[in-house]
Amino acid sequence: MITVAAAETDAIRAIEVETIPNRFARGWHCLGLAQSFKDGKPHTIQAFGQKLVVFCGEDGKVNVLDAYCRHMGGDLSQGTVKGNDIACPFHDWRWSGNGRCAKIPYSRRVPLRARTSSWPTMEQDHLLFVWNDPEGNPPPADVTIPRIEGATSDDWTDWRWTEQIVNTNCREVVDNVVDMAHFFYIHNSFPTYFKNIFDGTTATQIMKGKTRPDVARPDAEGNTMIGNTSVATYHGPSFMVDELTYHYQGFDLHSVLINCHYPIDENSFVLHSGIIAKHSDQLPKEAAEVLAGKLSGFILRGFDQDIQIWKNKARIDNPLLCEEDGPVYQLRRWYEQFYVNTAEVAPEMTERFEFEIDTTRPVESWARECEENLARAAAEGQS
Amino acid sequence: MTIRPDNRLADAPMQPLRCQRCDGPVLVRKSSWEQTSIQWSEQAMEDCPNLRTDRYRTCPDLRITIQQATLNGTVKVVDE
Repeated sequence: MITVAAAETDAIRAIEVETIPNRFARGWHCLGLAQSFKDGKPHTIQAFGQKLVVFCGEDGKVNVLDAYCRHMGGDLSQGTVKGNDIACPFHDWRWSGNGRCAKIPYSRRVPLRARTSSWPTMEQDHLLFVWNDPEGNPPPADVTIPRIEGATSDDWTDWRWTEQIVNTNCREVVDNVVDMAHFFYIHNSFPTYFKNIFDGTTATQIMKGKTRPDVARPDAEGNTMIGNTSVATYHGPSFMVDELTYHYQGFDLHSVLINCHYPIDENSFVLHSGIIAKHSDQLPKEAAEVLAGKLSGFILRGFDQDIQIWKNKARIDNPLLCEEDGPVYQLRRWYEQFYVNTAEVAPEMTERFEFEIDTTRPVESWARECEENLARAAAEGQS
Repeated sequence: MTIRPDNRLADAPMQPLRCQRCDGPVLVRKSSWEQTSIQWSEQAMEDCPNLRTDRYRTCPDLRITIQQATLNGTVKVVDE
């Protein structure tokens, strides 16, 4: 008989993974810049395991419906916007933004139960949001996306927005909220302070970082970044607002970064980034626009670094954590609230949880690694 | 999905503590002097006046409570 102690010492730890649920998170999901849907044409969106049509009527309201016409299954996203309705390309059935069949031009009347799925939408800060709820309930009044002041202010740049498809389950991107160490190893950052707070439907990451001496170099204007302070909060399952301040010698640069996504299905998602930067004496309007463009490129490179990992990694439900890792399990417990019915949201999923990492050892270790990199580069430069 | 326990809690679980100011019950764990985990309860959240004004910050009263409890040994530090 194997004793427990022996089993614990010798046993090989297996990676455990459950079947990925074929259910999509309840919450507001950002579909991108609202303006891109306001060209009078229907847009095809693959989301929540379905094909959706997004269209803007003459009234200026953006609507989201199931793409397949309930008549004979035509694809409404290949149809035409007529008035405030979307017309099916197959037989010209007209569907309103509320999901009801408004008219069948060749018929005297609309049949009973002529209603298709519709998703509540919201436009805010030039962004289009869609509410997903597998139970079909409307968004509660207290489940909101906070206003982003800079997005509508003349003192800030316009959104620099990017979109790309990522072929993995979207839990991977959410996990980054608690993953301090990957910022050093994957993104060339140097975290010196790291804290998480999960509270209700929000999950926050507070991070301070310094510029790595082994990758630092002044920008074209000769400014050297010293470090950054980031307060990033997920409002619901998919929309993260990051108040990101870059510290330069003598001045700060204020920006707001959006990192958001919506699931295509359980094995892929659309990843968006958006950034705005604040004008200042050191950064007048035009320079700020240039810089926002650069930052956007920088964020895309960061996404590429993540994607390279996601492409090759295993999904893991039982990560083996050391004390200098963040609260992965508690983050996933928080995240679970969006995948169960509202009545089944347990207190443990929403009760406030705080976790501050002791960065002493990571900082020591990373400082040493940077020094070694510098020494190696210097030696190579001489040889 | 099953909600799984943090592997780090297996041999060093969260410990119960009450805030000196509000008496709100929380669970605390410290893996070192610098590291802190705080699990709030619904009651502690309701009772805390500091949370009402700033949810992005650890309640300073609770922070002091934890520091004192760590110093007097009520909260054990995993490292030590």
